[in-house]
Amino acid sequence: MDRNQIGKWLKNPSKMANKYSFHVVYFCTGCGIIEIPPTITARWDAERFGIIPVATPRQANLFLITGYVSTKTLKAIIRTYEQMPEPKYTIAFGSCPINGGMYYDSYNTIKSLDKYIPVDGYIAGCMPRPEAIFIGVTHLWKLIDMDKADGYKRYREDYEFYRENQEQLFGELNWPPLFKNKGS
Amino acid sequence: MEELKKKILSIFNDLEIYIRRDNRMFVNARKETVLSLLSYLKNLWYDHLGLISCNDWIDDSEFELVYILSAYMAKDEEYQEKEKRNIIIKTRIPRQKAKFITVIDIFKNAEPYERELHEMFGIKFEGHPRLTPLFLELEYDIPPFRKDFDTEKYVENNYGQIPTIKERKNNKRNERT
Repeated sequence: MDRNQIGKWLKNPSKMANKYSFHVVYFCTGCGIIEIPPTITARWDAERFGIIPVATPRQANLFLITGYVSTKTLKAIIRTYEQMPEPKYTIAFGSCPINGGMYYDSYNTIKSLDKYIPVDGYIAGCMPRPEAIFIGVTHLWKLIDMDKADGYKRYREDYEFYRENQEQLFGELNWPPLFKNKGS
Repeated sequence: MEELKKKILSIFNDLEIYIRRDNRMFVNARKETVLSLLSYLKNLWYDHLGLISCNDWIDDSEFELVYILSAYMAKDEEYQEKEKRNIIIKTRIPRQKAKFITVIDIFKNAEPYERELHEMFGIKFEGHPRLTPLFLELEYDIPPFRKDFDTEKYVENNYGQIPTIKERKNNKRNERT
């Protein structure tokens, strides 16, 4: 363990433990998932960074959105994201979740992901190489240290707006709201 | 391949057949003869339906259905790996109220292809047991693979109209004050 970080560990041990043990939910959206097998296997060995893929969203706290998001996948993404326990972080890969990328005029691909679920960080590129994933993750560590990776807090706070956006796209949603609306 | 062409033409006389490569035969058929041609070719060891595809010729106001047939190795005596033969059957149907007869009775694996064409082009296949949605989540006024479906306009009217979370917040704040 790094001696400089002892202060941080003593101050907030649960945050530090979360930070160094990202459990990534196995969820393939689009083409970017092709970068995940080399990342988690021996060549780049993501376990050095404490990243390990897990089978269910209930065990996970990091969600990698790998590539374009079609409307059908978005429904599954929302449900998976809502099942993950807090604190949870989202990283979106590539150009497509930012503004649609090469699918800017597609009839079936959503254009910006952060209208529907909160995104903590983007890795630009098409597709980002495994090194870029590690840069993204180490940057997320810094954001967690500064309490700026607050996507799940924003989701809790602005849930009614996120839900309104989701309903504007899909019409009726066939699952109940995650949080009760406050104020209204 | 020339022998096969003669053989087919001796039975069906209203076809246009041309061979573009050694192993690829194109058949332009009228829509009435397609079913009998398919069942004839199936008995003639071309028993694998690779794909049903569709072209939208909007200027002629016609759809062009494309059936791609090939042979499994076991039944074909003349089959060699070098000359793997494909037969491509094209037929045209009118674009207005497009409908055609299903080929499930001949090739069972046609079912998902026809469902897809129904969803993406709006072609109704008569006799198909379930023409339910296959891929798409949302509903579209015009089936999205048709040429007159304006994707950029659709994106602007649907995905473009959804505000960001910040805009929604500001709108709500303005409403209250």
